[in-house]
Amino acid sequence: MLRRESFSPIQWLLLAVFTVYCLLPLWWVITTMFKDNGQLFSTFGLWFSAPSHLLENVRTLFTRQDGIFSRWLLNSVIYAGATALGSVMVSAMAGYAFSKFDFAAKRGLFTLILATIMVPSTALALPIYLLMQKTGLLNTYWAVILPGLVNPFGLYLMRLFWDAGFPKELMEAARIDGASEQTIFWSLGLPLVRGGLVTVGLFAFVGAWNNFFLPLVVVNSDTLYPLTLGLSVWNQTSASSGQEPIYTVIVLGALISVLPLLIAFLTLGRYWQGGLASGAVKG
Amino acid sequence: MTANTAVPVTAQAASPRPKSRRAGRATPWFFLAPFLAAFVAFFIAPVGYAVYLSLFIKKRVGVGPAREVFGGLSNYVRAFQDSDFLQSLAHILLFGVVQIPLMLLLATAMALILDAAKGSASKFFRTAFYLPYTVPSVIAGLLWGYLYSKNLSPFNQISGLKTDFLSSQLILFSIGNIVTWTWTGYNMITLYAALQNVPTDIYEAARIDGASNWQLARYVKLPLLRPTLTLTTIFSIIGTMQIFSEPFVLRPLGYVPDNITPNTYLYLTVARDSNFGYGAALAVLLAVFTLLLSGFFLRFAAEEGNT
Repeated sequence: MLRRESFSPIQWLLLAVFTVYCLLPLWWVITTMFKDNGQLFSTFGLWFSAPSHLLENVRTLFTRQDGIFSRWLLNSVIYAGATALGSVMVSAMAGYAFSKFDFAAKRGLFTLILATIMVPSTALALPIYLLMQKTGLLNTYWAVILPGLVNPFGLYLMRLFWDAGFPKELMEAARIDGASEQTIFWSLGLPLVRGGLVTVGLFAFVGAWNNFFLPLVVVNSDTLYPLTLGLSVWNQTSASSGQEPIYTVIVLGALISVLPLLIAFLTLGRYWQGGLASGAVKG
Repeated sequence: MTANTAVPVTAQAASPRPKSRRAGRATPWFFLAPFLAAFVAFFIAPVGYAVYLSLFIKKRVGVGPAREVFGGLSNYVRAFQDSDFLQSLAHILLFGVVQIPLMLLLATAMALILDAAKGSASKFFRTAFYLPYTVPSVIAGLLWGYLYSKNLSPFNQISGLKTDFLSSQLILFSIGNIVTWTWTGYNMITLYAALQNVPTDIYEAARIDGASNWQLARYVKLPLLRPTLTLTTIFSIIGTMQIFSEPFVLRPLGYVPDNITPNTYLYLTVARDSNFGYGAALAVLLAVFTLLLSGFFLRFAAEEGNT
C-alpha cells in the first residue's frame, strides 16, 4: 500500500487550481483565435463570441507581407531540425569518446565542458555577433545553427547512455572479429543508444525552436527570422503601424508556433522523463 | 566509473588480440573533434574575445570619429559606477529571491501530491502542468502581455478593476508570473522523476514504522529530493540571470524600463551606443556573477547537507 488509489479532496483541489493556472492562457488563445480585433476588446476574453473570424485570421496570417509567416515556419523547422540533428551527432560522438576511451586530460576536459553550462548564453551572444561579422557568417542560416552544436548537457546525457547501453565487452569482441573503430561506432554502437539519441535530439530541438536571443542578434533580414522573432516583430510593429492592429492574428500564429512542440511532447513524452530523470539523479 | 578495459578471460584466452586492431591513440580524438571544434569556435573563442574587447574603450580623439583604444579595466570601473546597471542587478536579485523559492515550493508540492497516488488522473495532471514549458518564452511573454493589457485583460473583466499589470510597480511581479507559469511544470517533472526513481522498499520501511502520508513526505521524500532540488535551484539561478525574452516582448505593450534585467540593459545599451567594449565588460561581469551565485549556493547546499 505504497501509493493510495486516489487523491484526497484537498489534493484534488490544489491540483485543479494549478491545472486551471497552467491551461488558462492556452484556453484564452483558443477563444481569441476566432475573434477579430474589435471583439478582442469588446467581448469576454475567456469565452467565444460570434461571428467567427477564424478563417479571416488564417488568411491574414498566411498572406500578410507576401506570406512571410510560412517562411518563418520553414525557417524554424530548418533551424531546430538542423540544430537537433547536428548536436545529436556531435554529442553522440563526443559522449562515446568520454565513455569508452582514456586519453590525456579527459577528466579536466569533461569538467570544463560541463562548467560552461553556467555561463549565460546571452553573455556569449555579443562576442559571437562580432566574430560572425568578421567571418561573414552574420545573417545566414549557419549563424543560428552552428552555435547550437555546442550542447554540454547533450554530451553529458550521451555519455550516460553510452555507459549504460553499450558494454565494453561488446566493443572488444567486435575488435577481435576485425571490425574497424568506425564500424563499431556507426553500425554496432549507435543503434544501441537510440533512446539517448531521441532524448538529446528532443531537448536540442525544443531549445532551438524556442531560441530568441541568438536569432535576434545574428540575423537581421526578415526572410531569415524564425517564428519567435517574426511574431515578436509583428507584435512590436502592429501597435505603431497605423493600420488595424492584428493581435488576434498574432495569437493564432503563436498557437501554430507551439503546435509542433506540443505534438513532440505528447508523442515522445517518455523520452523527456527519461532525460530529466537521469539528469536529476546523476547530477 | 572505472577506467580499465577488462576483457572477459575466455575471449582473451581464445584469441590473443591482434595489436593492429586495438584502438589507436588518435581514435578518441577523432570522435571528439566535431564537438571540440564547435566548442572552441562558439564558446572558447567568444569568451576570450569578450574578455579582450572589454579592455578597450571608445575615445574621441580630436574631431574624427570615436576610436577604440586600450583602456585597461576602465570599462569594469564604469560598470560598477553605472547606477542603471547596478539597479538591473538589484532587480534580478530581488526577482530571484522571491520567484525561485516560490516556484520550487510549488513544483515540490505538486510533485509530492502526484507521487502520493497512482492512476490515470496523475498522468493527465502531469501533462497539463508540463504544457507551458512547450511554449517558447517569447510566445509566453506575448500571450501574457495580452492577458495583462489593461483594456482587454480577462482578469480585469472578471474583477471589474482596471489593474495595470505592466505598471512600474507591478512589472517585476508580472514577469515573475510568466516565468513561474513556464517553468514550474518543468521543475515539477524533474522532481517527480526523482521521486519515482526512489526504491520502494524505503517507503515500505517507513510505512511499517507507522509513518503517516504527511510524515512520509516530510521526513522521507523531501530529504531524498535534496540533490534534485539543489540541481533545479542552480538551473533556476542560471536561467534567472538570463531573463530577456519576456521583458523584451512586453516593452511595446507597457512601461518596461530598459534596465529591468541585466540582459535587457546589456542588449539595449549596445544596440543604442554600439559600444562593444562596454557591452563585453557587462557580459563578462554577468557571467562571473552567475558563476559566483551558483558557487555560493552550491557551498550553502553542501554545508546545510552536512549539519
